Amino acid sequence: MTTPGSLDLRAVGKTYAVDGRPLTVLQDIDLRIEPGEFLAIVGASGCGKSTLLRLIIGLDDGYDGDILLDGHRITGPGLERGIVFQEHRLFPWLTVEENVGIGLEATSVPAAEKRRAIREHIDLVGLSGFEKAYPYQLSGGMAQRAAIARGLVNRPEILLLDEPLGALDSLTRVHLQDELLRIWTQENVTMLLVTHDVEEAVYLADRVVVMEPRPGRIRRILPIDLPRPRNRAAPAFAAVKETIIQELRR
Amino acid sequence: MPSDLIAAERGAWRPMLTMRRAPRRPERTAWLTERAAALLLPLVVPAVLLALWQLSATHGWVSVQVLPPPALVAQTLFDLLWSGDISGNLWISLRRILSGFLIGGLAGMALGIAMGLSPRVEHYLSPLFRAVAQVPSLGWLPFLILLVGIGEPLKFLIIAKACFVPMALNSFEGIRNIPPSFLEVARVFRLSRRALVLKVVLPATLPPVFSGVRLALSHAWIALVIVEMLASTEGIGYLTAWGRTLFQVDVVMAGMAVIGVVGLAMDAGLKRIERRLRRWSPARA
Amino acid sequence: MPAAPPFLHAPGPRIRRGAVLPAALLLAWAAAHSGLVNGHLLVPVEKVALVPFLDPQGIHLWPGLAASLARMAAGFTIGAAAGLLLGLSMGLSRTADRLFGPTLHAVRQIALYAWIPLLTAWFGNGEPAKVVFIALSAFFPMVLNTQEGLRTVPAAYREVARVLTLSRWQLLRRVLLPGAMPSIAIGVQLALIYAWLATVGAEYAMGLGRGVGTLLSEGREHFRMDIVIVGVLTLALVGFAINAAFGRIFARALRWRGPAR
Ligand SMILES: Nc1ncnc2c1ncn2[C@@H]1O[C@H](COP(=O)(O)OP(=O)(O)OP(=O)(O)O)[C@@H](O)[C@H]1O
Ligand SMILES: [Mg+2]
Repeated sequence: MTTPGSLDLRAVGKTYAVDGRPLTVLQDIDLRIEPGEFLAIVGASGCGKSTLLRLIIGLDDGYDGDILLDGHRITGPGLERGIVFQEHRLFPWLTVEENVGIGLEATSVPAAEKRRAIREHIDLVGLSGFEKAYPYQLSGGMAQRAAIARGLVNRPEILLLDEPLGALDSLTRVHLQDELLRIWTQENVTMLLVTHDVEEAVYLADRVVVMEPRPGRIRRILPIDLPRPRNRAAPAFAAVKETIIQELRR
Repeated sequence: MPSDLIAAERGAWRPMLTMRRAPRRPERTAWLTERAAALLLPLVVPAVLLALWQLSATHGWVSVQVLPPPALVAQTLFDLLWSGDISGNLWISLRRILSGFLIGGLAGMALGIAMGLSPRVEHYLSPLFRAVAQVPSLGWLPFLILLVGIGEPLKFLIIAKACFVPMALNSFEGIRNIPPSFLEVARVFRLSRRALVLKVVLPATLPPVFSGVRLALSHAWIALVIVEMLASTEGIGYLTAWGRTLFQVDVVMAGMAVIGVVGLAMDAGLKRIERRLRRWSPARA
Repeated sequence: MPAAPPFLHAPGPRIRRGAVLPAALLLAWAAAHSGLVNGHLLVPVEKVALVPFLDPQGIHLWPGLAASLARMAAGFTIGAAAGLLLGLSMGLSRTADRLFGPTLHAVRQIALYAWIPLLTAWFGNGEPAKVVFIALSAFFPMVLNTQEGLRTVPAAYREVARVLTLSRWQLLRRVLLPGAMPSIAIGVQLALIYAWLATVGAEYAMGLGRGVGTLLSEGREHFRMDIVIVGVLTLALVGFAINAAFGRIFARALRWRGPAR
């Protein structure tokens, strides 16, 4: 393997104990994500999408099967994986700059280098001029951008995004989708995006994973072969979108 | 609420600092260890203190005058209970609290409601009220002693004031914090004034007013101890101070135990009622 | 733990109305003095204002105030530091919480002033007993608010720290402490107020040495209403000043919370 960032899920399952009884949330997830790929996951609420991301990021290591990153089993959080949560989870007591910088706190990068990386990533997400702002002074979209910058600042091989645009109005969302594409090409990072929005998945992803609930399984994986930039109004786009919606309805 | 936050909170029972690399034991053993820790750890500190205390008594590290042995304190507590010294003095104290609370608390509630309902009343009274509230019970004590002496009226006034302030504040805020939307709903349904008070104002203000009751009684209890220790010849606070005058530390400790237990019982009982009253609004702290 | 009551509204035309009653009381006081009632209790208004400057007894207010504040500083430092440490350990370690929590909550139920007889029996009526009592008063609000603050840092933030592979120390310094800071600040403020009341209370109850409390108790013994009033006003004003000064520091240190509070 030459470029790092390939993720291999083999028969991954997750069972919670709820009131002493087992509740299977994920079952038999087999999935391979190629380096540099943009993969989207769609599925009904409660089908285990966030749980899957939590397993991959390493917040929960009590699972069945194997999750391999570049061939090694994941046992805990690591800086080669980044995540952007649905709520931005910026620390309210840190400025934008400090919030992005905390992504580098655990690294031994020299201070000057850190400052440069922080500035670059603030530029990357288009927040220049807001370095000293506190989260309460940001709009929802700006806060999500800052969270994306924090997720990317230590140059992870793979970035997990858990419905990062879910809480935004549709105009801002469409705008940030283009930004995500730009960042993806610019940073050459593998992206794994969870979303409720089928159109968003079709617009962004190389492949879309459709999940079904109770217990959470993969129903189908659809490659999106449309050339970028994609046109949401094109008939081919609508056709793919319709196929996925049909899958979700079944 | 976003699903991530909920999931995170669901997992929150494991404190992060201790879980990083927790050994993987079979779940049942882990559960048993957990239960045992929850039950036994709280007993460690009292046991150690008691053991040190006993050791000090047997080896005579400190004079018995200063630290009587645990058994003696228990004996004294038992004697005082048996002889009626405690119940008699406690009864006097509780009666003082009750009368002070009834009059001071009700007056405070009346003032709070009046200020809550009428901005005019609030404008006239709140500065004076704030000034009165700013002076703690301890400050009123010497002032009132000069005015009314150290008899029963002094205790009544101090306790009434201690109840008056929190009751007024909480009633005032209870009324002020009724969301205007409630009142609009009531207008839409053309509720009568009576129905408005019974169905909207009362239920919405009851929980904060009751928090006022809890605060009032706990302030009253503290104020009572001050006034009984400094200016009284009966009551549970006096009993404790009297033990000090005779240099009988066992009596002092017995008195403190009673003060603690009564405080605890009052607080726990009122908190329970309060939780019950607030059941419909889980979001409030 | 109670936060400061949101009772301070912006003053407006209400000042006029609010001044009516206090002014009436002052007038009644002055009028009453010029006639009927028992002379040495109802001191004239203007005399009270001069007591701390001209009266041979009242002039003791200043060294007394200095002594009280010094005493308070000593007791507060000890009590708040101990409270902060215990609160931190209880907030960070479940074991520490289980070890100390129940005992602490039981002991806390003993009304504070009930400690005075025991403390004087152990330490006498001098400085040590007073300082220990002040420390005890500052200790409880500090422990409780520190622990509560740490406990209520959202689990979501701890997860971010894990994802970023922060060390324990970084977690504490960058996440837990700042997250707990609003609650700790309330703890400090309450501890200061309690320490001040305890200072005056201890001086009043134990006597010996200079202090605002000693001034009060002597004033009462000699039926000097003017001195008592001056003492009580000092007690209230220092409390007020602590709150006001602290409110500003508080607002500055926590400006990340935005103006919405
Ligand atoms: N810590 C937990 N303990 C028990 N059950 C859990 C826990 N976390 C999640 N679950 C359950 O697992 C299932 C999947 O949850 P998850 O949050 O992964 O869903 P999701 O697909 O992300 O949903 P949404 O689209 O609404 O965010 C849900 O039924 C949930 O109740
Ligand atoms: Mg989710």
